[in-house]
Amino acid sequence: MALFAIENLRFTYPGSVSPALDGINLTVENGEFLVLCGKSGCGKSTLLRQLKTVLTPHGEREGSIFFKGQPLESATQRSQAASIGFVLQNPDNQIVTDKVWHELAFGLESLGESKEVIRLRVAEMASFFGIQQWYHKSVFELSGGQKQLLNLAAVMTMQPDVLILDEPTAQLDPIAAADFLATIKKINTEIGTTVILSEHRLEEVLHGADRAIVLGDGRIIAEGTPAQVGHTLKMLDDPMLYAMPTPLRVYLALETGDKDTCPVTVREGREYLSRRERQKECPKERQEEPQRGRQGVRQKSSPLDASDKQTVVAVKDAWFRYTKHGEDVLRGLSFTVSRGELFCIVGGNGTGKTTALGIVSGLRRPYRGTVSCLEKGVVVLPQDPQTLFTQKTIREDLLEMLPQGKNTVGEVEKQLAEVVELTEIAALLSQHPYDVSGGEQQRVALAKVLLTEPELLLLDEPTKGMDSFFKRKFARILNKLCDKDLTAIMVSHDLEFCAQYASRCALFFDGSIVTQSNPRVFFSGNNFYTTAANRMSRHVFADAITVEDIVEKCRQAHD
Amino acid sequence: MRDAFSSCNPLVNFVFFAAVLVITVFFLHPVLLGISLVSALAYSIYLNGAKAVRFNFALLLPLMLVAAFINPAFNHAGMTILLYVDGNPITLEAILRGVAAAVMIGSVIVWFSCYNTIMTSDKFLYLFGRIIPAFSLILSMALRFIPRYKAQLGKIADAQRGIGRGVSQGRLVARVRNGLSILSILVTWALENAIEMADSMKSRGYGLKGRTAYSNYGFDVRDRVLLAVLLVSFSLVVASIALQGVSIDYFPVFIMNPQGGLAYMAYAGYTLICLMPLLLDSKEELTWRSLQSRI
Repeated sequence: MALFAIENLRFTYPGSVSPALDGINLTVENGEFLVLCGKSGCGKSTLLRQLKTVLTPHGEREGSIFFKGQPLESATQRSQAASIGFVLQNPDNQIVTDKVWHELAFGLESLGESKEVIRLRVAEMASFFGIQQWYHKSVFELSGGQKQLLNLAAVMTMQPDVLILDEPTAQLDPIAAADFLATIKKINTEIGTTVILSEHRLEEVLHGADRAIVLGDGRIIAEGTPAQVGHTLKMLDDPMLYAMPTPLRVYLALETGDKDTCPVTVREGREYLSRRERQKECPKERQEEPQRGRQGVRQKSSPLDASDKQTVVAVKDAWFRYTKHGEDVLRGLSFTVSRGELFCIVGGNGTGKTTALGIVSGLRRPYRGTVSCLEKGVVVLPQDPQTLFTQKTIREDLLEMLPQGKNTVGEVEKQLAEVVELTEIAALLSQHPYDVSGGEQQRVALAKVLLTEPELLLLDEPTKGMDSFFKRKFARILNKLCDKDLTAIMVSHDLEFCAQYASRCALFFDGSIVTQSNPRVFFSGNNFYTTAANRMSRHVFADAITVEDIVEKCRQAHD
Repeated sequence: MRDAFSSCNPLVNFVFFAAVLVITVFFLHPVLLGISLVSALAYSIYLNGAKAVRFNFALLLPLMLVAAFINPAFNHAGMTILLYVDGNPITLEAILRGVAAAVMIGSVIVWFSCYNTIMTSDKFLYLFGRIIPAFSLILSMALRFIPRYKAQLGKIADAQRGIGRGVSQGRLVARVRNGLSILSILVTWALENAIEMADSMKSRGYGLKGRTAYSNYGFDVRDRVLLAVLLVSFSLVVASIALQGVSIDYFPVFIMNPQGGLAYMAYAGYTLICLMPLLLDSKEELTWRSLQSRI
């Protein structure tokens, strides 16, 4: 008997003409690990929320959902609360109480369990998740990753049959996200809990999944093992293909046959490339010095030709700490950025990257060293776009940014129209900024910031929570702006993005920049801190850092 | 620092503070007040170290002096007139009463500084969550909201400053407007995000009948013994008061009870209560040392 059986599900939000979900047929077996993917706003959350009655949004539903053979509606709230565990996207919003132990006990308290039962279950879960060390802590002392792990543990104490997770790692940094996903996998394999997970970071999760389902506009467009899904997407020529793991994308670009052995992990990708090389006898490139990145493919400006441009930001030996007796966060940070560059700062969590942006924008002042920066036209796009919105509609919110009185109505409208077109938000203008999806909020925030006509744009983790589809769009916008001589400094964890679109990358560690150069040299010089494409191909090609690089080089080697 | 008394069941902690404060506040007996103030100072310095010493001398001493002077300045009752100021009699009784009030206020403040260290929010929740279960959850949620809103307010202020709309940017009118819009963003944010929290609560069965309250505290033999000691000592003090073993009159003349068996019983009982945390700690300290030396 299937755990969930969904038959001909169709769901329409009130006031909406077209259905958000249509013709969904899906069965989930006991113990399965199912990954649900699709671009933002395709109906992933709507579908997941159908699987627990209390979370189902209002709207018109047709079709039926069976849970353990019974219609879902007939299962009591009590049994649903315990047996269907749900973890949402934002780690902070889900935590109810102020102490870790209380949060763990919350669900069981609701179910009315006795103190002895709660004690045992909480102890079990705290031990399984390694929470003992912070069991007595206050919630606000925890990091984002710990908070999300706590949310997971708090659900697991109720011993659910199925765990449903709605983009649980969207707000986490890559290390915390990988930890979290590994824990999910552990729960699935060691406890046997069924897992239904929606996710953007397919690179890390797809290889562990039994089955992947791709949603597009409320319909299932591909279903099956990761390899099968890849083939289907390629056949449909669907943009979701770009979200697939690097090895799979390389394979699909190079092979035409319909084979079952698709590389999904980096290791399989390496084996595949070696095999391919042997078979086709593609002449192995000599391991020449990677510093000679011959093809300056997409990179607009290497540091050489940037040097004759005007310097926009120069930071020299900057030292900074937050409190008088605290640790130094920046330790002799120095860098310069020239006009028109997209300068990306990558590095681990808590190394001071965001603080570095703060001293450039003037929000923080170093206690030693100098910062010279443009006098005006410097704006920051914050990590959380919600901190920017002030008005009831997006249009009003954008208009508010323009100086009143100075310009005529015509000029204002023209300026607004330009930015709206660039960020592609024309369809959203009449909505409330909180009502659009996370990726769309990010775009509105960008539009708002661009209306100030900045010369220097500082971006703090702009790609966090963005789907791969919109990332490409976002990169196009940024590159377009940089062509118009805007300068951008971006702090990011997203190596793939930086490799593909930055004009220069810098590795931040321990309060200063350890190394910097153009992305090709930067990433091919690193062994661990580099893109999946580089890790997968470094034994064959010296300086391939993106999927396109590998594909191109393989084809060249052929001809 | 690690304090043995704070590891006891919250009920013991609470009964202790209640017993100490009731006698200090409602019974202005010089000997009992003296015991209370000295133990309070000792315990606060033991708990909070140098910070407590600084607080006690820099803030508390002036406050107590003011309190001691205010009473004779306004209260002219009493038989023993010492002198006249502007035609108003200053009496010995009023001075003594003022000193007693000052000592009382001082000890209450110091006891509360100890209370803050010992009775953390979880203990308070544990005690009162039984009486009103919904209250304990609300309080716990409030305690979570405060640091969270504070952090978000900082983030919003930084973000607004990043686009030139900070509270320190522009003319005065613009600054006020920017400040207001920062607050408005915080409110919108809080309301929007509360929806997801409500989802998370519902999803974990909040609202089902028969909610229980979990706590980490047990009630062991030590807690029982301490509670018994507290209750017995408190009864002794109260009995002694009821039997006029200790009594105090400030007006019209200062009359204190004669020192005898009943009085000594009350003093001993109250001393035992007030020093209980320190005695407990000394005992555990000694046990620890003897265990160490035996190894």
